[in-house]
Amino acid sequence: MAGPMRIRAASNGTETEVKILMSHDMETGQRKDASGALVPAHHITELTATHNGRVVLAAQFGPAVSKNPYLQFKFAGGAKGDKVSVSWVDNKGDKRTDEVVVA
Amino acid sequence: MSRFSELLLAGCLIAAAAGASADSSFPGVGRPATPSEVKAWDIDVRPDFKGLPPGKGSVDQGIELWEAKCTACHGSFGESNEVFTPLVGGTTKEDIETGRVGAYIRQDAPQRSTLMKVPTLSTLWDYINRAMPWNAPKSLSPDEVYAVLAYLLHLGEIVPADFTLSDKNIAEVQKRMPNRNGMTTKHGMWDIKGKPDVKNVACMKNCKTQITMGSSLPDYARDAHGNLADQNRVIGAVRGQQTSEGAGGGAAAPAPHPAMDLMKKSGCSGCHGIASKILGPSFRDIAKRYKDDKGAESQLIGRVKAGGSGTWGDAAMPPQAHVSDADTAALIKWILSGSPEN
Repeated sequence: MAGPMRIRAASNGTETEVKILMSHDMETGQRKDASGALVPAHHITELTATHNGRVVLAAQFGPAVSKNPYLQFKFAGGAKGDKVSVSWVDNKGDKRTDEVVVA
Repeated sequence: MSRFSELLLAGCLIAAAAGASADSSFPGVGRPATPSEVKAWDIDVRPDFKGLPPGKGSVDQGIELWEAKCTACHGSFGESNEVFTPLVGGTTKEDIETGRVGAYIRQDAPQRSTLMKVPTLSTLWDYINRAMPWNAPKSLSPDEVYAVLAYLLHLGEIVPADFTLSDKNIAEVQKRMPNRNGMTTKHGMWDIKGKPDVKNVACMKNCKTQITMGSSLPDYARDAHGNLADQNRVIGAVRGQQTSEGAGGGAAAPAPHPAMDLMKKSGCSGCHGIASKILGPSFRDIAKRYKDDKGAESQLIGRVKAGGSGTWGDAAMPPQAHVSDADTAALIKWILSGSPEN
């Protein structure tokens, strides 16, 4: 269901820009299926991005975030060859972590 | 021998002298295209890959090109909805197996992406080759087109990350296109005997003789969207109604500002609107931002000449070297004065 994240991190020397495309259904818990039953909520609740082990972004996600969310942010520092790792946890306890090398 | 046939004979001799290969059925009209002219023009790639130039490109090479030339409009992952509809998304592993996009059958896709729609890989190759990037079509070499396409296919999980696409294996990849079996030719758009999109039959009996108005806008709501007469295009038979009193009024419109012509001729209107954001910011937004900035004029002239990005978002402005210095200066002056339309 939840596939790998696509992550791109590029450094310009002083700051690093990270782009993330997550693959997640992000069900709000408010939608009804064809038979009228509520589709249970299933969405990412926490997201953490680390640079060489140091947390550079921690976010709380809720039902208002779209399906397959796209996230882009910058942090100071970072050099080519460094590692940026992104992980999320969803409300069913599923986890996913993906890592990318800064270009 | 009559005078006429003498003339004809003379004509034939001239034609023969001009070029032995000239088609004599239309003497004096044009000349056959040379093989190199035909080659430059004949760039189409067919679904059976006839016309595909040899070459290859890897996903990794594609990433570099994509970041440089495609990201501004399509997003890093082909996901962007900002300028065009997304290229990637809505397809699953199952679709790649079956060749039918399940989202169409279930009708649960909020939006159609390019990879959901396109059945033939040749179409993607051909389109990227002839029309992309937006601001410099046909500037990619065949190898670059292979590389960009390989990356795009990788984003759709059609090929793995270490894949190299080439003219040798493109037919194999075609067999993994998610919508390859989703195209039908059994309709009137393709086959003259197919079912047409619309069908109209002349009324033969009990026909209506008068038009009855089904609904109309109440008076208080007529100007809810401004004066429609000012908004409709001025060609064709249909005109928007005057929906706000006093506006426009039917008096002849004043002559457009000379800079309007210059702006359209220089290609600015492809990306900039006067009052609305298109790809780039609107002219009035620019004027607003630099209202109190004395150095703005020379700074913006430099920006137009050399191109730039980042000031108004991600979309990059390409360098506009084809516009003369005087024209650029006149346009910037006009923009900073609030872009009056007349």
